[in-house]
Order: sequence, then C-alpha cells, then structure tokens
Amino acid sequence: MIELKNVSFTYGSENGIEKGAAGGVGETVSNGSLNNINLSIKDGECLLITGGSGCGKTTILRLINGLIPNFFEGLLSGSVTINGQNVSQTELYDTAKTVSTVFQNPRSQFFNVDTTSELAFACENQGMAREEILRRVNRTVVEMQLEPLMNKSLFNLSGGQKQKIACASVAVTGNDIILLDEPSANLDLYSIGELKELLKKWKSEGKTIVVAEHRISYLWDIADRTVILNEGQIIKELSRPQMYKLTENDLHKMGLRTNKDCRVKPDNDTELVMPDNDTLSSSGNNTDLSSSGLTRGSLSKSNILLLQNFRYKYKTGYLALSIPQMQIPVGQITAITGNNGDGKTTFLNCLCGLGHRSKGTIEFKGKTYKRKARQKLVYLVMQDVNHQLFTESVMDEVLISQLEPNEEEAHKILASLDLDDFAKRHPQSLSGGQKQRVAVACAIASGREILLFDEPTSGLDYTHMLQIGKILRDLKALGKTVIVVTHDRELIEECCDNEMKLLDYSKK
Amino acid sequence: MEVLCSDKKKSLLDPRTKLLLLIFVSVFVIGNAGGDAAAEFRVILNYTPLLFLLCARRWRAFLFGVIFYTFAYAFAVLLMPHCKGFLNFLILAMTGIVLRFLPGILTGMYVVSTTTVSEFICAMERIHVPQTITIPLSVMFRFFPTVAEEAGSINKAMSMRDIKFGGKKALQMIEYRLIPMMTCSVKIGQELSAASLTRGLGGPGKRTNICKIGFGFCDILVFLGLGAGLAFSILRACGVL
Amino acid sequence: MEDSKKLKGKDLINIGIFAAIYFVVIMALAMLGFIPIFMPTYSVLMPLFGGIVFMLFLTKVKKFGMVWIMTIIMGILMWLTGMSYYALVIGIVTGLIAELILKKGEYKSVKCAVLSHAVFCFWIVSNYIPLFFFADKYWSTRQNFGQEYIDALTRMFPKWMFPVHIVLCFGFGIVGGLLGHKILKKHFEKAGIV
Repeated sequence: MIELKNVSFTYGSENGIEKGAAGGVGETVSNGSLNNINLSIKDGECLLITGGSGCGKTTILRLINGLIPNFFEGLLSGSVTINGQNVSQTELYDTAKTVSTVFQNPRSQFFNVDTTSELAFACENQGMAREEILRRVNRTVVEMQLEPLMNKSLFNLSGGQKQKIACASVAVTGNDIILLDEPSANLDLYSIGELKELLKKWKSEGKTIVVAEHRISYLWDIADRTVILNEGQIIKELSRPQMYKLTENDLHKMGLRTNKDCRVKPDNDTELVMPDNDTLSSSGNNTDLSSSGLTRGSLSKSNILLLQNFRYKYKTGYLALSIPQMQIPVGQITAITGNNGDGKTTFLNCLCGLGHRSKGTIEFKGKTYKRKARQKLVYLVMQDVNHQLFTESVMDEVLISQLEPNEEEAHKILASLDLDDFAKRHPQSLSGGQKQRVAVACAIASGREILLFDEPTSGLDYTHMLQIGKILRDLKALGKTVIVVTHDRELIEECCDNEMKLLDYSKK
Repeated sequence: MEVLCSDKKKSLLDPRTKLLLLIFVSVFVIGNAGGDAAAEFRVILNYTPLLFLLCARRWRAFLFGVIFYTFAYAFAVLLMPHCKGFLNFLILAMTGIVLRFLPGILTGMYVVSTTTVSEFICAMERIHVPQTITIPLSVMFRFFPTVAEEAGSINKAMSMRDIKFGGKKALQMIEYRLIPMMTCSVKIGQELSAASLTRGLGGPGKRTNICKIGFGFCDILVFLGLGAGLAFSILRACGVL
Repeated sequence: MEDSKKLKGKDLINIGIFAAIYFVVIMALAMLGFIPIFMPTYSVLMPLFGGIVFMLFLTKVKKFGMVWIMTIIMGILMWLTGMSYYALVIGIVTGLIAELILKKGEYKSVKCAVLSHAVFCFWIVSNYIPLFFFADKYWSTRQNFGQEYIDALTRMFPKWMFPVHIVLCFGFGIVGGLLGHKILKKHFEKAGIV
C-alpha cells in the first residue's frame, strides 16, 4: 500500500525539469512541483497518472522510488509511505529492494554495456549469491523469451529491445512495486504492443504498477484507475467505468492525448520495403513500390522530390537502407512511418547527405543533387535538440544559420515563433519546447527548401503536439517541403498530407 | 535451461595475469629496470605483445605493431645516417618515441581489446580494490561509448548546419564542439545516475559479480615465463650467469 | 538526508562520468601525438583543454576524495593503455595534494580550484619520465644503431627539459583552470547545469 499524505514539493534551484514542452508567450510554465497531493495506491492496483507537461506526474514517481529527496533536492512536506515505512527517510538502496523503476529513455538507464550483466545488475548490488542471481536471470529470460538478446552489446539494440531489457531487469528483482515513467515515449507501435502484454502479465502476477504517461491509449484497458494532474494538483480521479465513459473530446479538452487505439492505417499510404540482407544478395532487385498509391494531383517533375538509389551500408556490410526509387510531393507535409526505428534515422541522415556511406541522388525541381550538394538543400531538426544548439544566445543560433547574418531578418523569424523575447537567452536555459522552436527558427533562417523532422512530438502532450502541427503547417505555407519521421498517429492526422511507410523486410 | 555463458571463460588469460604482464612491460621495457642484465629479457618482452595479439586474433593491432616496428627500424638504420638537420631530428624523435612506447601500447591494446568491463571489475574486486575506485571505473568505461556517440551526433549536426573548421574560427570550433558534448553528456549522466541508484547501487556490503574469472593453464605458462625471465635477469645481475 | 561526508553512490557515478568525458578529450589530443613531434605539446594542450572539463567536475565535488580518486583513475587508465605506471604512482601523491588544496578552500574557492587543477595535471608530465630519466640505459641495447644515434637521442631529451615541462604543465594548468571557469560562467551556468 503506497500512501501520499498532504504531499507538497518544489524543486530546488539546481534541479530543473527536463521535460516536454512548456512556455509559449502568456503560458505559465509548470515546473513539476506538487501542491497538497493525497493519493493512496492499493496493492496489485494498476494506476495511470497523466496530465499536461510539467504537471508533476514524474515528481510523484520520484517520491515513491525515493529519488526525491535523496537525489533531487527541494522542499518537501507531507509523508510518503510504502507499507507504513517512510520512503523519504529511507536510503535509496533500501527502497530499491521493494520498488523498481523503468525510465523513459532506454539510452541512459543502463549501467552495463552488455545485456546479461544488465539483467543481473540490481541483484548484484544487493549482494545476492551468484547462483541465485543466475537462477533468477534464467527464469526471466525464459519467461520473456529473451534468449536472442542475451550476451549482446546494449549499444546495438533497437529502442524497443532496449526497453525490453530494462523491463526484464526489473522482472529479475521480483519487486512488487513497479513504476514506469513514460516508457512508450521512444517506442514504435509494435514495441508498445509488446510493452502492453508485459504490463498485463505483471498485473496478473499481482504487482502494483504505477505508470506516468502521455500516450494513454495503450493503457486504457489495463489501468484500474486514472489520476489526472494539473499544475501539481489532482484535478480528476477516474475509476474504470468512469474512464470508459470519456470521449476523445473530453480528453482533448483536458489537454490529453487520445484514448483510442490508433492502429488503423489511413487509406493513402505507400509501402516501401527495405531489404533483408539475404534476399538482396540472392535476388538483387528490390521491387519499385513507390509508384502505387500516390494519386493526388499531377506529378510532374517539378512537383516531386525524387529519391533514387538510396543506399546505406554499415562498415560491417550490413545494408540498412535500400530504396531504388521514392517520390515525395514538393510543398507538402509527408510523414514517414514504419517499425524500423534505425532505418528511419538512417533514411534521414541519407537524405541530408550526412555520412560518407550514404549513396544515392535526389532530384529536386529539375536539378540532381548528389550527397555533398544535398547538405545545402536539406535541413534536419534532430530528435535530441541539444545536439544542435551550440551558441550563447538564441539570436546567435539564428545568425550562424543564415547564409548572410542579418539581424533584422533574424528578429522577424524569432517573432513568428514567439521567441523574440528570448533572443538574448542562452539556448540551454530554455524549456524543451522552446529549444525545439529555436531549432525550427534556425531551419527557417537557413533558407533551405527541404526540412526534415525526426520525431518532433515524442513525449509531448496534446496541446504541444498541436503547436508542432501548427508550426509544420506554417512551414508548408512558406513553400517548404516538410518530411516528418514519426510514430505519433495524432500528429499525422493533425497535419500531414501524405504518409509513406518504411518496412523492414526481415520482419515480415 | 542454461542460457548464460558466464561460466565459460571468454579470453585466454585471466585479467589479473594481463595486468601482471602490463607491469612487467612497464618495468622492464619502458622503465628500463635491470639495465644490461635484463637486456635479453627486455627484447623478449618487446615482442611478446605481438604474440599475444596474434593468439587473440587481433589482426589489425598485430599488423599495426609489425608495421610500426618495421618502419622505425628501417628509418633508424637506413635513413638516419643519410639525413641531417631537421629531418634527422624528426626521424630520431619518431623512432625513439615509437620504439620506447610501442611495446607498452601494444600490450595495452591487447589487454583492452580482450577484457570485458565485467571481467576487469571482477579482477579489481578480487585484488581488493575498494568500491570507491571500481564503481567510477565501471561507470567510466560504460560511459565512453555514450560520450563518443554524443560527439558524433554533434559533429553531424554541425556539418548539417554547414559550420565547418576554418582557420580563424578554430578556437570557436572547439568551443562549439566541446561545450554541447559536455552539456549533453552531463545530462545523460544525471539520468544514468538516477537510474542506477534506483537499482540499489551504492549500498553497503559487498557486491556480487556474476562474471567468472580464474587462473588457467595459459596463465600458469605466462607466470612461468615471466618468472624465468626475472630470475634470469637477477642471476645475470649478480654475476652468476 | 543527513549531510554525510562519506562518498555516496551518486558521487562515485559523477566521478566516473567526468572521468569519461575528461579522458575522451585527452585521447582526442593524444591522437595528435601520433606524429611524435607533437608529444611535447601534451604539456600545453592537455592542461589547457582538460581544464574546461575539470572545472565543471569541481562544481559537482563537494566531498573529500573525489579529485584524488579521479587522479588515481587517470593513472590506472594510463597503465592500461601501456603508458606505464608513473602516472599512477605519482598521481596517488599529487592527487592527494590537489584534494587537500581544494579542501583548504572548503570546496568553494575559485583560486583553490584553479590551483588544484594545476597540481592535478601533474599526471600528464609523469608519462614523460621514462623518456628523460632512463634514456641512456635503454639505448644501450640498441647498439646496432650506432653510437651516433644513441647520442643524438639522448641529446634530444636532456634532463633539464623535464622541469621545463613541469613548469609548462603547471602554468597551463592554471590557464586551463581559468579558462574553464570563464566557460562555466559563460555557458554552463546559463544552461543550468552548474
């Protein structure tokens, strides 16, 4: 039994929240603090905590697993108890014996470099006997069918596989309380399906599960109860029957994503098949599927972006990408979807002309561009915006992106994105959403015709997803060709004109 | 069903033996202990890393070593007498430094490429190195690829934004690369820290390690070889041999 | 939680993370040294750029032992990569001194921080020791190269160069520390990492 009684918490000065988007002009910036929360969670219950960005859902999880106040400092009042024991006053390594947590970013939750050690990690820390650890790991591997993933380097796994290992390492400990912090944020639909099955299984084993999520659709029929937070307070608590009564509109009004399971493909999509390396070497030819499906408008040469012979081969000989031909309409917003996470990023890199292993040409408005030339034509807004911001001020970022630094022009661009007030601020001091807008400002400033976006809405709530949609539409109005790699169904329905699906041949 | 391979020893030698090897190379080759008495031993130690690399099938490192040795010798013997002045100096520097450090570097390459992090930490724990050292060490090893990844992404971002190395801007370039790399790494580090702590890292009491290491036949061979060389050199020094 | 002076898991992980970042920077600079003529530049470049990383590291250090452990780890790394054990042996001593300097400033003073870095950098110079001090004996095994070669090589690494390197290293350690501090203020504070 987990109980939060009259809990209030504000983060200390040095610990900001690195979460989603917040802070357009006039918006209050929610910072994850909590205000007089009263919550009890029964044993074996599956609780969903949701709300807009910065509402405090992660904060609640951190209170339960002890990271607050042992890791994140701040002002805490009220009590958090698990089975009567006060968590805030217990050492983290003791709480770790009852509570396990799965984090949002698979990349940064692993302590080891290989999968097997990772599974054993938590038990090793407790000083468990070697045989016992091996027994438990074996049991989990068999139960979750993880044999093919054993003894592999964690750096070579896909996002979905990494999250599986993270969940497995939780299962090895056998802890009864499992917390998950936006576990689906970086996963594609297929992996989310697997996650859902795992949660069902844990539930049947009687584990207490608490999930903080934006993408609530996959949890809607597993959660026993939903708690909706806003600015640190519980504004709604819903039991199962009440949850089913809610329509999509009700949720949207509360700033939440849809509860509908989005697995239905829209009609007009094109499927491109990516090769399995064995078939490629034997058959040699990949069928051109790109001409099926695109029936809107007249497709003359000036209207399309033609990709030809796109290939990317890793050093090891592994062929990650092979697209003989692909047509993307100019001046429209095209979504690229598909289950193969790595393939999509490789595709974007190839399109940008990054990496000397990318081969292929594109034809744009009658001109052919080889790899190097593409770098001046295409601008990529990366998934992790932090990789793209280097300078001291937002204004500088825009200025170095322009071909010829022009302050007046820069101000105009910033103003169009509600960023003019932040011109002098250091890019790293902005919220996630603001940083993303800075990256978009740089994209516009570069003057390039083709703009690529890599998962711009992962981890964003409804309101901010709409904001991104609007930005994309504004870019389209400017005449840009926008290509978005995403698995966010709602974004696609919101603003995308076409969709193209990249399939992994080997998964068929 | 046994799915773990932890019972199988992955590499030829126990990590502790490799560490011993490193000590010997350091002391005798780089450190030049024993002077003339250890001369033969030193020569053998010079080339044993190559042997190990061969056994471990590290072809590239092996080739690297052979090529460097060959070139250094060739330069020293053939070219040196014919060049004067700056070129002479250059060749001198190259060969001198290369020959001095190469055995050590090759041994280092062998050790690093054939030992997994878990094995290394296990060895450290066996020789009673305290947790205050082993934990930072394992975090560090695990974090290297992450830092490299971050640096790579930043490089990509820079070339995508068309910001290149230029003479005047060289210092700025370093700033632009170093700062984001550090910022990103620190942030990831924070997340990693939190995640590890929620899994019980840093508790009192001894940590178990599922990795298995132990001395085997090859280790004994190495011990005997090193011991013999040492004995030989000592006897030499004492004037017996 | 109680303010304990003991190093906790969080601190140990921090050391590891910064050791990784620091070492990556050092390695990048060391690659230059593959053109052996640049080896002496290690005393200049490494303290200079390492200072940036180190100063950031210091803002996370509030307990005794963190710098000392960092120095030892650098020493172990040097040993593992085949640069011999001097960095480790000397590092154990200089690391402690650097730590004590920091402690004197109660982990808050900037001056002590910069000084501490300069002392910390000593491990870089200790890698040079074999080149300077044991040169003659070494070259005696290379008789087949000719006496001229040996003499020339010994001349190239005269013993007096070593103190020069120490001074250079220390001096640039100070510069690096100051540079690091400046960058801290310029970037990291605004970014909210400090």
